[in-house]
Amino acid sequence: MPSERPIVPSSLSVKDLLWQVHWSRERCTLCGRCTAVCPVGAIEPAVFRKRIVKTDILAAKQPPNVFEVYYGIRQLTDPAHACVGCASCTLVCPNDAIMPMHGDEADKLKFHINQQGEPRRRGGRRNAPPGILDRIKFTRISMLTDPALDAGRHEFELRTLLGRVLPAEENLALVREQGWIPPVREIYPLIIGGMSFGALSPTMWEGMLMGVAYLNEQMGMPVRMSTGEGGCPPRILRSRFLKYLILQIASGYFGWDEIIHALPHMKEDPCAVEIKYGQGAKPGDGGLLMWHKVNRLIAAIRGVPQGVNLPSPPTHQTKYSIEESVAKMIQSMYMAWGFKVPVYPKISATNTSLAVLNNLARNPYAAGLAIDGEDGGTGAAYTVSMDHMGHPIASNIRDCYLNLVKLGKQNELPLFAGGGVGKNGNLAANAMALIMLGASGVQTGKYIMQAAAGCVGSETDRCNICNVGLCPKGITSQDPRLYRRLDPEKVAQRIVDVFVSFDSEIKKIVAPLGRSTSLPIGMSDALGIDDFNAAQRLGIRYCI
Amino acid sequence: MPKPFAIQGIENGIRVESRVLEEKIQNAVSSGKRSLLVNARGQHGIGGRLWAAGDETVLVRIDGASGQRVGAMGFPNTRIEVNGPASDDTGWLNAGALIVVNGNAANGCGNAMAQGKIQIAGSIGARGMTMTKANPRFAPPQLWVLGSTGDYFAEFMAGGIAVICGFEPQTPGNILGYRPCVGMVRGQVFFRGPIEGFSEADAKLIAIDEKTWAWLTENLKAFLKNINRPDLFKTLAVKGDWQLIEARSAQEKLSKPRRSLAAFQAEVWDAELGRGGMIGDIIEVEKGSIGLTPTGNWRRFVPVWENRKYTPPCQASCPTGIPVQERWRLIRENRLDEAIDLALSYTPFPATVCGYLCPNLCMAGCSRSFSRIRPVDVAILGKASIAATPPPLPPISGGKVAVIGGGAAGLSAAWHLRRAGHRAILFDTEKTLGGKISAVIPESRIPKDVLSAELNRVKKAVEHIQLKAPLTPAAMQKIVADHDYVVIATGAGKPRLLDLTGGKRAVAALDFLKQTKTGAITVGKSVVVIGAGNVGCDVATEAKRLGAQNITLIDIQTPAAFGKEKEHAQAAGAKFLWPCFTKRITAKAVELTNGQILEADNVVVAIGDMPELTFLPPSVETAKGFVKVDASFQTTDPKIFAIGDAVQLGLLTDAIGAGRKAAAAIDAKFAGRQPEVSETSPLNIDRVKLEYFDPRTADFNSVTSCADSCASCGVCRDCGICESVCPTGAISRKETADSNGFEMVVDDEKCIGCGFCTGSCPCGIWTLTPNTPMLK
Repeated sequence: MPSERPIVPSSLSVKDLLWQVHWSRERCTLCGRCTAVCPVGAIEPAVFRKRIVKTDILAAKQPPNVFEVYYGIRQLTDPAHACVGCASCTLVCPNDAIMPMHGDEADKLKFHINQQGEPRRRGGRRNAPPGILDRIKFTRISMLTDPALDAGRHEFELRTLLGRVLPAEENLALVREQGWIPPVREIYPLIIGGMSFGALSPTMWEGMLMGVAYLNEQMGMPVRMSTGEGGCPPRILRSRFLKYLILQIASGYFGWDEIIHALPHMKEDPCAVEIKYGQGAKPGDGGLLMWHKVNRLIAAIRGVPQGVNLPSPPTHQTKYSIEESVAKMIQSMYMAWGFKVPVYPKISATNTSLAVLNNLARNPYAAGLAIDGEDGGTGAAYTVSMDHMGHPIASNIRDCYLNLVKLGKQNELPLFAGGGVGKNGNLAANAMALIMLGASGVQTGKYIMQAAAGCVGSETDRCNICNVGLCPKGITSQDPRLYRRLDPEKVAQRIVDVFVSFDSEIKKIVAPLGRSTSLPIGMSDALGIDDFNAAQRLGIRYCI
Repeated sequence: MPKPFAIQGIENGIRVESRVLEEKIQNAVSSGKRSLLVNARGQHGIGGRLWAAGDETVLVRIDGASGQRVGAMGFPNTRIEVNGPASDDTGWLNAGALIVVNGNAANGCGNAMAQGKIQIAGSIGARGMTMTKANPRFAPPQLWVLGSTGDYFAEFMAGGIAVICGFEPQTPGNILGYRPCVGMVRGQVFFRGPIEGFSEADAKLIAIDEKTWAWLTENLKAFLKNINRPDLFKTLAVKGDWQLIEARSAQEKLSKPRRSLAAFQAEVWDAELGRGGMIGDIIEVEKGSIGLTPTGNWRRFVPVWENRKYTPPCQASCPTGIPVQERWRLIRENRLDEAIDLALSYTPFPATVCGYLCPNLCMAGCSRSFSRIRPVDVAILGKASIAATPPPLPPISGGKVAVIGGGAAGLSAAWHLRRAGHRAILFDTEKTLGGKISAVIPESRIPKDVLSAELNRVKKAVEHIQLKAPLTPAAMQKIVADHDYVVIATGAGKPRLLDLTGGKRAVAALDFLKQTKTGAITVGKSVVVIGAGNVGCDVATEAKRLGAQNITLIDIQTPAAFGKEKEHAQAAGAKFLWPCFTKRITAKAVELTNGQILEADNVVVAIGDMPELTFLPPSVETAKGFVKVDASFQTTDPKIFAIGDAVQLGLLTDAIGAGRKAAAAIDAKFAGRQPEVSETSPLNIDRVKLEYFDPRTADFNSVTSCADSCASCGVCRDCGICESVCPTGAISRKETADSNGFEMVVDDEKCIGCGFCTGSCPCGIWTLTPNTPMLK
């Protein structure tokens, strides 16, 4: 039938697609699982006609045509049904008969994904696999020059401080005068970055927080997780687990009235409040939770009616300058918990980060600054924002740290770095590189989805359909038929595995440096890179 | 015991180098000395490596400062007695020597020791008994300490036995120091006294059984004897004071006791948050997870058997609305007669029109056409329908309807009204019914006997009143008054003519055709037909029949002619010219605006016809010369309907369809119902699977071959393919009491929503729809 169709400009062949579904008629047992599981309807069961001309040159009669029919799997080629490469089909196939393969040619779908003038939107991360963080090496190994440490034997205090750490004399003076001393939290340096309840499925969110609670209560690791913007389940707000959460407030202010109503019933203060001004993956752009995702559950948690669009604008409506944004927001958020909870802003990495930082340095209430680089992940963004907007985290965090050093405040105002940390699986190495460049801690989100829930999204444009709520693993869907694929208990177990192994790995990095058993914030003389310009820019050693 | 051979560590007030002292000791042993007294000054490694004595025992007593690594790499033949404290790494890499220190020993005591014994009469420093070994070829090493140990004791201990007596310890509160046993993989540590923990990940406390206690007491006695404190035996040999740490096996280490996540969820998480965990207060939450291809309510998609939900494409493309596919189905079921008779429910002319005159839009709309497979040939079935016999007419129920005009439209309306039980009276000026079919269509296109047979069939059903004169408004008014409803089907009998010089010389096509039928016209050698539509083609065909040799059809645009009419005209040698704009018509020619002159003995204008509507009452509105009607063909006067060319120029099948629909609307009105105008939407032909059919089918030669090749779009052909293809056996056929007789049903508990039924269904009955949202 397709062969008889007139072509239109967006008529594509399987060859034009980024993902091509290879199917073996030989192996297929027609069990139907692949078509049942495909999230985007990229494949369909089909009838195929097979013609055989039975020629026998010696026979006296004209060779007959024999028609046979067989059943199999056909890949659809229209942009709306293009395979996303998630390989759910492969996952369910009992005979390994089907698998999406990355096309060997430039992706032609790219030119047609904007039907009806709607530019492509997707979830995931920048489609750019390499990154500078993976190239940074730890080159200062303690070889007899100072006592080497043993990751397995020595005790490390790899904790960090979130909050304004006043110089000793100021602090003592305040103690004497019974003045206000900024709250400071001693936390684990790897924070689960803000992924909202709504962007994530309830099973994923619950699994993550349960894992975090386990790490705190069973393993003694003070791991913290940011809520992202989307509120916080009322039961959590009224439980002791609240202290493991950093409550995020962003331009949509979703769920905050529910948080306010819960204030009188809170058993614990939250770890901190994060004011989100920007997201590394889509800097300067907002978000929208589509109405069809706003079901009974999301509506209850965000404090909104069901079935309405929930926009998070690119900017906060009532803030017009750094001074105003920072002073006004920080003050308000401090007041909510009687100045006992640290409040800090989170921004996208940008050329103008230093301006924000300098402002914060002058504001005695600012508890820190989180900066999210261009390689951060997102549940939904325009591809153009994701792939082309934003600033890499490495030089941005470095500039900020060195600026604090100039001000003599590097031990006072903690910086938190995020954006592509561990994007190629090297979480501990990336995290320690950022810490040695000057971050007090790192935030990571996408890695957690990959490691704790089996997210298959990649920087070669695989899957990345978080935005349409069809996540084949149930990580970013609000449909129980998808999110029930994920068992929160299993997610929690993976969270525990990830953090415990991360903890071993960072010790394996810190111990051979031989300097200290504490977190080596800003210890950039231990870093090297095989790129001269990068070395110059970051102020680290050029090693080849 | 012979007098020991003295070796000085200081000569002439100068300390002897470790290398030189070692040389002296080795020389002494080589020369047969078996008892040495070394007056040491901190020299390195005194007393080790004395293999030169072979199996004979060598006693090395050390006075003074014994130095680091005393007894390092000691041999089993060697006994070393340090008269005083020892420095770091006592017995380092000891391979069998007994080393007794009559005092404290500093850090690293017994480090990397593999065999032999070290016995300390005091306490030791940090990292004692670390990295020890246990070689299966030899007895394991032992470390005996009378007092306490420093920090990091027994780190990475990989074998041997340490006994820490805790007598007059340096650290009375914690006799094993800070963090002992980290990384310990093998061996035992006996201790007597308080400790502040040890690495429980690596080691564990075990009970001291009788055999072990016997070993301990026996060896304790020997130890105390060696350090000259036999008096302490009674104090120390109290079983209740001793504890024993043993390294965990590798297997034990793998299974560190930790609360399982499942237990954490139940005992901690849900206990704090309540039943259902984090969101149990908002929605019902079940534990665990579902699979990737679940059944029942967890399916993302469900198949729906949409039998007869959509109109088959052939039926949808037939203006008359004949269920063509249904007729083929009846033939497949060997019910040929029923198939043939069925047509009469839709048209009084199944043979005349479907078999001969209709361009067969059903075939153009056939799914097969879109796949370049020859559509099933309905004309065969049409021709066979000459045999159709109508069922007995129902008694007249009282309604009385006047149908004005006896053409295809009027006959269709009257036919259907009568079949519905109403009295239908045809008013027509012609003697013969049939309108254009009888009057103007060339006989080459419709055999006379076929037409007259069908006209006879319809005449038996309807009354015919031949009007003496064309209708006047007054006559019309009377008809309206005398009947319940009036259907205007007067056609378009008024030719559109050309308003140009010589225009009057031209003959209107319909007049020309009527005259050719009655033989009332002379046709010359050259004929020009202005207007190259199908009527023009009929003119050409008739002109040829009557002797014309040069026939030209001209048009201002691409000729609209198609189908049989065009074929016949082409067979008649007619030339088609376009775009041509006529300037004037002369006696002998047609002159075009571009100066071209076309010779013409006859000029016929076939640019369409207009209805003649002067008889209409004012209550019936018109637009652009045609009667205005709604979807049920009702005019602005509710009593009056209008159909056929009076409403819009069209094909015979359009007129027949309009007659049927108008009749249905009137029937509905008699019954007090609203006329049904909405019909089911046509089936999307993408749902039909033509891969089952041989695309090379050349010709159909019988109604049965056609019926077999009909894809049965939108109507289940009961082939059982879905039942067979369904991977989970979820589909089954169920007999029903309705007219269909069966249905295909899905067992939701087996179905995974794969869509194989949809993908394989030849008729496009199955569809896969998203399951109802669970959480709205």
